[in-house]
Amino acid sequence: MPANRVLVIGAGPAGLSATKELQALGVDVVLVERESYLGGTPKKLKYSLLFPELRPASEVLDPLIKAGEAVKTRYMESIVDKVQQEGDNFVVTIKDKNGKTYTEKVGAIIAASGFEHFDSRRKYEYGYGIIPNIYNISDIEGMLSENRLVTTKGTPPKRVAILLCVGSRDATVGNTHCSRVCCAVSIKQAMEIKERIPDAVVHIYYMDIRTYGLMEDKLYWKAQLNYRVGFIRGRISEFMRGPNDTVVIKGEDTMNLNRALVVPYDMVILANGMELGLGSKQVAKVLGLEFEEHGFVRPMDPDRLPVLSTRKGVFLAGAITGPKTISDSITEGQAAAIKAYEYVSKGIWEEAPRKVAAEVVKH
Amino acid sequence: MQEEREIQKKLHEEIKQAFPYAEDVDWNEIYQRVIYRYSTPHGIAHVKEELEKLEEKGEIIVHHIKPYNNPVEAQTINGLPKKIPTTRLWQHKSCGQCGHIPGYPTSVFWIMNKLEIDYMDEPHQTSCTGWNYHASGASNPVALAGVYVRNMWRAYEIDYFPLIHCGTSFGHYKEIRNMIVLYPQIREKLRPIMRKLGMDIVVPEEVVHYSEWLFVMSKKAAQHKKYDVSNIRAAVHTPCHVYKLVPDDTIYDPNVWQGRRPAPPTGTVLNFGAKIVDYSTWWDCCGFGFRHILTEREFTRSFALFKKVIPAVEEGKADVFVTSDTGCVTTLDKSQWAGKAHGFNYNLPVLSDAQFAAILMGADPYKIGQIHWHATDVEGFLRKIGVPVDEYKEQFLQYLADLRAGNAQPEYLYKPHRKIDFYLALPDRVKWYKGEQAQKVS
Amino acid sequence: MPQNVIPLPDDPRYMDLSYPEQGALTEEERNLDTLPPDQRELARKFWQAVKSDFRFNEYLRGCLNCGVCTSGCPAAKFYDYGPREMIQYMMRDAVDRIWEFVNKKVWACVQCYTCSMRCPFNNEIAGLIMLLREYAVQFALPSAKEILAPYRRVLYTVLTLGNQVTPDMIQPEAFPDWGPQAVEESKNMDVYRKAIPVDLLQRTDIGWHASLQTAVELMTIMFESGVMDAIKNVDPDLYDMVSDIYEERKSQLEEIREKWMNGELKEEDLPDSWLDL
Repeated sequence: MPANRVLVIGAGPAGLSATKELQALGVDVVLVERESYLGGTPKKLKYSLLFPELRPASEVLDPLIKAGEAVKTRYMESIVDKVQQEGDNFVVTIKDKNGKTYTEKVGAIIAASGFEHFDSRRKYEYGYGIIPNIYNISDIEGMLSENRLVTTKGTPPKRVAILLCVGSRDATVGNTHCSRVCCAVSIKQAMEIKERIPDAVVHIYYMDIRTYGLMEDKLYWKAQLNYRVGFIRGRISEFMRGPNDTVVIKGEDTMNLNRALVVPYDMVILANGMELGLGSKQVAKVLGLEFEEHGFVRPMDPDRLPVLSTRKGVFLAGAITGPKTISDSITEGQAAAIKAYEYVSKGIWEEAPRKVAAEVVKH
Repeated sequence: MQEEREIQKKLHEEIKQAFPYAEDVDWNEIYQRVIYRYSTPHGIAHVKEELEKLEEKGEIIVHHIKPYNNPVEAQTINGLPKKIPTTRLWQHKSCGQCGHIPGYPTSVFWIMNKLEIDYMDEPHQTSCTGWNYHASGASNPVALAGVYVRNMWRAYEIDYFPLIHCGTSFGHYKEIRNMIVLYPQIREKLRPIMRKLGMDIVVPEEVVHYSEWLFVMSKKAAQHKKYDVSNIRAAVHTPCHVYKLVPDDTIYDPNVWQGRRPAPPTGTVLNFGAKIVDYSTWWDCCGFGFRHILTEREFTRSFALFKKVIPAVEEGKADVFVTSDTGCVTTLDKSQWAGKAHGFNYNLPVLSDAQFAAILMGADPYKIGQIHWHATDVEGFLRKIGVPVDEYKEQFLQYLADLRAGNAQPEYLYKPHRKIDFYLALPDRVKWYKGEQAQKVS
Repeated sequence: MPQNVIPLPDDPRYMDLSYPEQGALTEEERNLDTLPPDQRELARKFWQAVKSDFRFNEYLRGCLNCGVCTSGCPAAKFYDYGPREMIQYMMRDAVDRIWEFVNKKVWACVQCYTCSMRCPFNNEIAGLIMLLREYAVQFALPSAKEILAPYRRVLYTVLTLGNQVTPDMIQPEAFPDWGPQAVEESKNMDVYRKAIPVDLLQRTDIGWHASLQTAVELMTIMFESGVMDAIKNVDPDLYDMVSDIYEERKSQLEEIREKWMNGELKEEDLPDSWLDL
């Protein structure tokens, strides 16, 4: 039987939620986090309000962080450097930022090291970091939560463009997946901007609006009904440096044939998508996990066993397996905790079902 | 090499910063944070792999870059290495350059003479026919491949590595190379044609543009610099066919636009000490349009003036426009005069990077730079940087008068060809041309 | 049509009220009716030919209708043209629209490849334009003939000398918009060329002086690869002209080569340029 002790890698929403459940189930948790704080990417990028309920991020994160703080064996600013199998257990080498190593013996591992935002600099024609007043959604979250939404001129923007699908659904940067949350986050930000600057013109450039499920009216409709956010169907091809630190967009209003748009804005926000970050890639490598075709970690069976990895005793939670919302990640943390609990307490490990090719008859 | 070490050091620092305490990281991944990733259905790595397989099977002869080509390793947009041979080069001239901007190839030859580069320039070359193809569509893939391979064969048989002068030839050849490698049906149709000419299908290991060569040589070349350009504001137009056609086979450098825009010709201009200015329409084409420059110039004129020249002057306050392709020099240079009719009095000098470099290195702006073929105020620009233009001009006008009167013989950058070379491509031509030197390497 | 079925009035408004028995046409078929009757079959054949080209499925991959291609397109700023338009017609097999497109708009593209480089679906858009243009020439469509008419001299140069342009084509009357420098250039063309310090570049009627063998090899490629067959349809006079030149140059080359191989060639007997043979 594996030891009644679980290593959780990553202290974001998924990792912390798993930690919380494991603690409630009486399982000993070892928590490893690369950063110096608990809370993961939402904390790092200072997320403002969370969609779709538009509640402060701290309301959701704080209880989880509290659970994380209760963990006695906690390694901050550390990474998992080596994992060795020893019977049913894993002997894990943890390395801190000074290069000092520690060893822990655990029965199971939950990898919840999350995603990284797409580096918008890779869309070179967008000029992020070269042209002033172009921001990522992740930059805007911090500006909103700190209530200092201003352009480089120090004044609030009167015209804002938000461009969706930056680094997602784009084969030129090798990311053909949809990052799922950017539509919702962007519309939420549009509403937050209008809340602060009611006379601002906010345009969202989109190909499809994917505020799926219950978010449709809470975000997409509400942004139009209550905030008069403009939705323009077309993806922007390029940003140009405009006069007075403005940004000029080059797009096409695809609802009309051959209608090219060249429009100035005070501020442009790039809804940069999700990728598996370097941190998670390192975790996957150390744990010997497989990647799926978009570069995320492959679960044993994405439909039936989504929180089991391809390696026995290793569980997955959150955005390590693909773009997820915070609530999805919390759910997966809980699911992974239960599966890990079953494993360390009863030795239950399900194998993936045999893949059967569907029979197709050509007509 | 000092510069290479510096780049390595810088990369290493960035890696440390990005990931301070793990030894066990994927270096490739980290690298891609510095150079930016671009993906196409058939990446250059795939094409090169296939090419290697075809070479093994004996289906294609690969003209390899040899140690005596003194290759320098540069980086493509994806951080993959691209070998740039620096000597023993076969000059693949450009029809538009030789026809209307002759100072362009002569500057390349002059720089090579100055840097003691071994090269061959021969009458056994045709243009890539790409200008015609992109303008009219009056060609087909097999013909284009045939033209490419025929030219490459002439370079291969004398073991000089082809250096492509024209941006369109460069982009077009990259595409044709990929097509030959990826489609067996093209090879099948191509082979009998090549056999008929007594040739086989040969593909060089890399397709190399002269601007890439000039960029990797520019630090060395700049040591010969005669004039100070530190106060010069240069706007650069990077030719579309150089970096938008087969985008993952063009070189980038972390020190040029953070590795986010192609290294040449910007890096060359930087290495010669001028200031680079940005302007909003940097990514736009020049307006050449292939058929437009010949038969629809109202488009070309308007585009070049409004989308290129005016932004470069009004936003960038540029003193000079530097570019690295035939069509771009022509378009940007010739399209400014007509603007006067509507009160747009722009006269921004336009130079190729080769002319820019050669003149700074002390080349005669008329005999070598051939700036009298330019319509814009190149002379004014040269005066600004201290080139004694008027002296040169006086001498040149005298030279022209002497040539006209038969009192002078034309001067040459390299030994003129034999008469027979204008008829037949003889196997002994290099030996005749280079004497003992040629036998040493081959 | 069965007897008890009422024929449909010849009015498109009745279309969506119809049953198959009434002979309603599919949308594609109906749209084809907008073309003149004599062009329908040709349009269909043209599109079939383009679609069966080996590059087609590689170049056309799919379309998110995002407009990145059109928004970065230089030609779209000046003409009623956009790459997305073409991609959409192709994705929908809209033969009538493609036919319209290839007979006019396809020539607006400036071949800068911005669309190709940025397309998030990795379509080779500028390459698809070239496919349409290639087949327009092969099918000798009126638009191709029209485009190639002022272009004949260039084509002649390409096909016989392998150079696109000649220095002496810069005539002030043809390039009045290039200003006084072009006048000066054409006035002094002879001596300007002579002052270029490269022997290959000193003629006024050719960009560089290629060898006779090179010219013949190029023409061989053009004939063998089928380029000349396409030219024959678009411009028969040009075809005849180039054919004559090819035969003549080929025999001249053979003669010289033979003499050379037999050691009988006297270099001094040859004219300075084979163009003067």
